[in-house]
Amino acid sequence: MKSFATEQVRTSASGIVSRRTFVQSVASGAAAAGVLGWKDAMTLHAAELRKQGMSCILLFMNGAPSQFETFDPKPGTKNGGPTTAISTAVSGIELAAGWDNVARQMKDIALIRSMTNKEGAHPRAVYQLHTGYLPSGAIKHPAFGSIVGKELGQADFELPYFVSVGGRFNNTAGSGFLGMKYAPFVVNDANRLPSNAALPGDVAKDRFARRMELMKDLEEDFAQSGARKAVEDHQSIYRGAANLVTSPNLKAFDLGQEKDSVRDRYGRSPFGQGCLLARRLVEQGVTFIEVEHGNWDTHQDNFERTKTLSAPADKGFAALVADLKERGLLEKTLIIWMGEFGRTPRINGQNGRDHYPRVFSVALAGGGIKGGQVIGASSADGSDVKSRPVTVPDLFCTFCQSLKINPRKENIGPLERPIKIVDGGAPVKELFS
Amino acid sequence: MRQNCVLALAATTVICFAGNLARCGEKDDPAPLLNNDPWKNSSRSPLQAGEIDRLVASELSKRKITPAALTSDEQFIRRVMLDLTGKLPLPADVTEFSADKDKDKRTKLIDRLLASDDYAKHWSQYWRDVFAAKVTDMRGRAISVHFEAWLHDQFEKNKPWDEMSREMLTANGQLPVRLGRGETEVDAKNGAAYFLLSYQGQDAINDRTAETSRIFLGIQIQCAQCHDHPFDGWKREQFHELAGFFARLADRPVFEMVNERRQIVGVALQSRPFGEHMMPGKDDPAKGTVKMPKFLDGKSVRGRSNDNERRKSLADYVASKNNYWFSAAFVNRMWGEMMGQAFRQPIDDLGPGKEVTMPDVLARVSAAFASSNFDIKQLLLAICTSDAYQRQIRPGESAGDHLQFAGMAPTRLRSESLWQSLVTVLGSMGPPAPMGGNPFGRRFSVEGQFKDEFNFDPSLPPDEIESSIPQALMLMNNPTIQQRLRAQGSNLLARVLTAYPKDDEALQMVYLRTLSRKPTDREKEKALKYIQNTSKRSEAFEDVLWALLNSTEFQTRR
Repeated sequence: MKSFATEQVRTSASGIVSRRTFVQSVASGAAAAGVLGWKDAMTLHAAELRKQGMSCILLFMNGAPSQFETFDPKPGTKNGGPTTAISTAVSGIELAAGWDNVARQMKDIALIRSMTNKEGAHPRAVYQLHTGYLPSGAIKHPAFGSIVGKELGQADFELPYFVSVGGRFNNTAGSGFLGMKYAPFVVNDANRLPSNAALPGDVAKDRFARRMELMKDLEEDFAQSGARKAVEDHQSIYRGAANLVTSPNLKAFDLGQEKDSVRDRYGRSPFGQGCLLARRLVEQGVTFIEVEHGNWDTHQDNFERTKTLSAPADKGFAALVADLKERGLLEKTLIIWMGEFGRTPRINGQNGRDHYPRVFSVALAGGGIKGGQVIGASSADGSDVKSRPVTVPDLFCTFCQSLKINPRKENIGPLERPIKIVDGGAPVKELFS
Repeated sequence: MRQNCVLALAATTVICFAGNLARCGEKDDPAPLLNNDPWKNSSRSPLQAGEIDRLVASELSKRKITPAALTSDEQFIRRVMLDLTGKLPLPADVTEFSADKDKDKRTKLIDRLLASDDYAKHWSQYWRDVFAAKVTDMRGRAISVHFEAWLHDQFEKNKPWDEMSREMLTANGQLPVRLGRGETEVDAKNGAAYFLLSYQGQDAINDRTAETSRIFLGIQIQCAQCHDHPFDGWKREQFHELAGFFARLADRPVFEMVNERRQIVGVALQSRPFGEHMMPGKDDPAKGTVKMPKFLDGKSVRGRSNDNERRKSLADYVASKNNYWFSAAFVNRMWGEMMGQAFRQPIDDLGPGKEVTMPDVLARVSAAFASSNFDIKQLLLAICTSDAYQRQIRPGESAGDHLQFAGMAPTRLRSESLWQSLVTVLGSMGPPAPMGGNPFGRRFSVEGQFKDEFNFDPSLPPDEIESSIPQALMLMNNPTIQQRLRAQGSNLLARVLTAYPKDDEALQMVYLRTLSRKPTDREKEKALKYIQNTSKRSEAFEDVLWALLNSTEFQTRR
């Protein structure tokens, strides 16, 4: 019987929602005797973690940016192309030209130039870099944002745990088996309130409250007729939605509350304003914000297109790091800048670069990351990792370490299958001072 | 991976405790047997009138359960229309049906619905979602339009389930797909190829294997891909032997010059002349072992057979009249969809060795389904005409209780049905979602946004289907929906309020339109009081309509 008293954490969407199915699947008799310790120590531990107020901002460069034209330039080499390099606030670290703002902020930013992976197809790699797992038919893995929301989000929080800004085309990973509670709340345009969050013009807050009350009133007979559970679940979701709609915190989504000078600092691009929104949401306690920027899939005309894409990315990323630092939030906020893979060292016939997962770059800041350093290196011609290879699981373990999440914690997937937050890998210890 | 399965120990102990299965997880354990005792003993004759009720009644009397009362006509017509066609009845349908004196009117209604185009539409969408639920690949998702069109034809012609399954497993050829701008023509003819093409690339073989077993047989063997199944007893070898049937099937993108650029315009299945499936080595994945095709019961296929021969023999094993799992997986799913609860939940995790409610009833209905040559309409007719189907909803003692088919369990409407209901009440909501190959196009119509937002995997147990805040926001606040809700112009409410100057009559009409029933006395009293307390009549009715459209009941089949 000892084997029942497992120390593993088994939670799903809403805490231990699938207890019933679990008991069923284990068997009738013995399990029902109450030997299973559901409320284990981890529940308490989780509450401690939430108090620490860590959060994470993922700047996702959809389409896969070229490392040569961003954070691993190779000026003067055949593969480096026409791209030149600039010096940064940290002597010895150079970035590609066009990244001047990030260069000035370099003391707070660490680069990994030795990322290595095998997946070179966009949808699969986007999925992998969002979930830590390759897609598999049997399991829809949760995006890391959903995991962070579940681990660090506070109960009864009025805003969503996980907000995704501008990610209209990135729809390959949601909350997966963690359930709707941790699904990304999508904001298409940072300059506007989220879809359907605003009350219709002719419905003031008091009318809205009357409507809610009327609905509750009229549902009672249906609840009594045999649908009590359904009605209760429904009303709890509606309470959450109503809280959001009428919450003063909803103002966090309103960039109009910011001074023009602040908005200008981030750049008036969709990405820049998305970064500003991310900062506002972190201030309100949202645990994970993804801001998408792209398309970086530069098979043709790589150099011009990357230049155009880099300008708003440089401005937004640098402003975000600086602003969070000034507000004393950088230590508690991990910022990740990455795409799904890198691009080929070889410049193709159309002056473009193709897909290249073998070596690419990622930038990290905040969340205990020691800035002003470079982890690993690519070879001189950029075709391979020269030192300190970092895999996707390594990277995800690093995120976990920064956010103080246990990467080996298991969530319960379909059919009660336990699935680790990260399978394998080890954190890049050098990143933490 | 093996140490991941923390349930292994617990499960082993319990299974030993239960004493009816060998201990799993040890090398020399026998694999689970694929036979099923109730099935062996079941009569293969067609179901007789009232047979389901006699079987369920005797089970209920054994358990000393008194069944719930039968539905009223009002309750029945809403349920059966939503279940068979995904549509809400109009007020006239409800009143006419209730007034009809014909003793056989329920059966006649069922017949009419089964013959309707909406029946084919509803079930083609349902099965599209069953197969698409776990597809993450963008191209895989985009080609589901062809599958839906093919399914529509199949349901319209009442194609037997074994023939449909066979076609999916043995499909060849290609399907058009465009991810950029532009539409593709829908290819209904080869839509069956969707099942195999929805998973692409080098891992596709594992997904094809797992989904074949899960959907067609109700057997979940996918865990055994990486390790012996901790409590079902499946061996890694068995998963990879099953995969062997797909070893010589590959897929490839189809390129064409479009606007002077080489672009992917389709995906194609392609047989390979040679090659075998390798089971990856446990320590070093690169050091694999060749696995020749073998079905779950150990039946194999002759050596050196080609791709088409392999998949044909797989289809023979799967879609056989003697295969309990094939028939029972379908019956369990349909029964669950119609009754709100299945014999076994999750509906795609039937066994072997799983706890099933009323296994004899499942086996008997499955046997009759097989001997009817897998006639889907006949099965649905038998279910819908049974008392078990026609009972009222009943609360369980606690959430998720199995009602033993003594009453109906209310369940959430699927996104297509909910959208259809909304349109039935409020009228058209603007241009429909584009059908073509561009999956992004959907996002730009309210219909597309709505369906994406409310979508869920139809294989999930009903009590694990969750609603979300964005769903609630959509129904609460979406500008297009709110526009249609207002009592103005040619909107529903404007017409109702003009036609029915008396508040109680207008209220009854709003109830009939939204919930397909008259208000209860209590509801009438509450609503009328609200209307009297609100200064503007139109505003008061807008609020009532809003409350009903946002209510649990509107989103529930009951």
